[in-house]
Amino acid sequence: MITQAAAAIEVDDLHKAYGRGHERRQALSGVSFELRRGQRLAYLGPNGAGKTTMIRCLSGRTRPDGGSIRIMGEKSTLQRTREILGLVPQEIALYEDLTPRENLIAFARFHGLRGRVARRQTDWALQWTGLTDRADELVGGFSGGMKRRVNLACGVLHQPAVLLLDEPTVGVDPQSRARIFEMLDELRSNGTSILLTTHHLDEAQSQCEHIVIVDQGRVVAQGSFDDLVHQTVGGDRMVQVHLEQPIRKDGNDGLAGTGLALQVTPGERMVSARMSGLGKSLPDLLTAVQACGYGVRDVEVETPTLHHVFLHLTGHELRDS
Amino acid sequence: MVWRVIETQLRRLRHNRVEWLLTFAVPVAFFSIFALIFTRGVGSTPRIKVALVDEVNDDESNGRDAVVDVFDLLADNDGVRVVGPNADGASDWLTRDDAEQWVRRGKATIAVIAKSNASSQGLDFELLNDSSDQVASKIVSALVIQAAMSTRRSTATPDSGAGGAEGSGDGADRDAMDKQSSETESSSFDAFVGKLASRAASETRPPEIKVVNVIGEGKSNPTISVYAAGIAVMFLLFGATSGGGMLLEEQENQTLERLLATHLTMDHLLLGKWFYLTGLGCVQVTVMFLWAQLVFGLELAKHLDGFVMMTFVTSAAAASFGLFLATLCKTRGQLNGLSVVSVLTMSALGGSMVPRYVMSESLQRAGLYTFNAWALDGYDKVFWRELPVGELAPQLTVLLLTSVVLLLAARVLAIRWERV
Repeated sequence: MITQAAAAIEVDDLHKAYGRGHERRQALSGVSFELRRGQRLAYLGPNGAGKTTMIRCLSGRTRPDGGSIRIMGEKSTLQRTREILGLVPQEIALYEDLTPRENLIAFARFHGLRGRVARRQTDWALQWTGLTDRADELVGGFSGGMKRRVNLACGVLHQPAVLLLDEPTVGVDPQSRARIFEMLDELRSNGTSILLTTHHLDEAQSQCEHIVIVDQGRVVAQGSFDDLVHQTVGGDRMVQVHLEQPIRKDGNDGLAGTGLALQVTPGERMVSARMSGLGKSLPDLLTAVQACGYGVRDVEVETPTLHHVFLHLTGHELRDS
Repeated sequence: MVWRVIETQLRRLRHNRVEWLLTFAVPVAFFSIFALIFTRGVGSTPRIKVALVDEVNDDESNGRDAVVDVFDLLADNDGVRVVGPNADGASDWLTRDDAEQWVRRGKATIAVIAKSNASSQGLDFELLNDSSDQVASKIVSALVIQAAMSTRRSTATPDSGAGGAEGSGDGADRDAMDKQSSETESSSFDAFVGKLASRAASETRPPEIKVVNVIGEGKSNPTISVYAAGIAVMFLLFGATSGGGMLLEEQENQTLERLLATHLTMDHLLLGKWFYLTGLGCVQVTVMFLWAQLVFGLELAKHLDGFVMMTFVTSAAAASFGLFLATLCKTRGQLNGLSVVSVLTMSALGGSMVPRYVMSESLQRAGLYTFNAWALDGYDKVFWRELPVGELAPQLTVLLLTSVVLLLAARVLAIRWERV
């Protein structure tokens, strides 16, 4: 008989509110999701959606008002959380007047590692971050990317089964971001389950198998990227055909015969349309364009991204409050 | 463009309350404190605590009366407060040994000992002085002379009106003098003039005042311990508040969040910081006193036991104070403002900047609400008065209790950073 291992994290109907009376603000309103073992989950949402509250609840730093959290199949307790979870805050939560080695040793000891084990894990972390040759320089003099790597390393010294990352790549260059995800890949290959929050939606789309989008304390969608696209913007593609001649005022009857909802403006050099069956509709459109006497200069097919999905779900309204 | 810079700076100032406080409120507050010290403190002269000792022989009833008169005049003076076991007049007088102990313990600033002068049959005085108060002996000397002279004038006036010679008011003496004058007129006239001159001289001669420094005599650099302690305690407080600020820094950059997600608890964190700040404070003060020993001749090795005790409790109290302020504030900016105001105020009132003996009694009492006053009193007992360590009990108790209470208060305030 095959038994499925319990999820790394199971969050069920989690509630949390801050303040009292008129000031009371619901940060989490019945959030439920699951992080499977070895999975990388992106927990996304606009500012004020409750992402940090969720991270704090998971790391044991905030006590939820209702609902439950199970970690590795067992009810979350402070002691268990400290042993199983690793936390990497959004800020560079390091002592900048210490060297990376000194920071790593300090956090290893805070995580309960002693003596030889702490030193071994420190050496491993320095190698993992690629900072062995800078191990004895002060962190304060490091670039943003290097600080981020040390920040990440300090959260995984005790080899946690689950890693919580709050915007791990904010403010770093593309090279450092790539390096950080290589480091995360290495962790995942060793079985670490990862939950990360980020505003880099391209990262979430490309790096995470499971995506949870929250807004105003509620989960508005979750699943794989394809699932989310299907649930929201669907399989339609926006196609733009760039023409060599401006569109005439008349003599465009051939375009109407395609049966597509075209956007055509006389004087412009572009025809655009939303297509559900790209394989059939696009050749038909190109044929009709040429039949009307226009030359085709370029064709753009816009595929839906997580950015589209996100804005579709959360809207374009600013979240300043 | 220059105007734009000025405008921007002014706008920033408008939004920064701490900057407002430091720029405008703190200087005014400090001016007020020093104005109080140097106007109500020195201007009206704080009352000097004087112990009185009568060493005139009991059989010299005239002398005893003169002592009572002098001491009464001293007690009536606004600049003096007679201290003694009862503080109610004659019963207040002490023995020499007791008075010396009172001066050594700081219960009295100076002791006035009245003694008979065998040759002039008048009074002389000895002042047992604490030389750390460089003003008291001069003021009390002048007051004693003034009191003694005015007492003599009031007793001498009736006699001099009757002719001035010894026993001149007595009829029998006058007859004897008439008889003698007929026999040896010229020689007795000389003797008569001589007696008159001698009496006049003894009445107008000021009493002899001998000042004995019971504390500070023979010390190579007598007041250096006072300054060493004053400066050390002030910087100890600055160091502790700055160290406590690291807690806020950790909170602001989320290191605290990360730390509390490990096996570390808030109890561990606060205790760890408290021990660190206390230890650092001990080293800081030790370095200061070692320097004072090497360069200025302070006798540290001789007073090591008292120094260790005082340094530990003072550092412990300063560490608790630093953590208390840090947990009280929300930001580093707030802490900086509050620590500057509180440390400078405590240092001014507590005697780190100006010795407390020049302050009025009300300001001296206010100073007892500061660390500095208790710590400086303790160091004063160790290095200046050279009292046994048992005498440090009040200072050790107050500083230790303060340390515990403030640390507990910091722990309570830190709850807001824990699991919510």
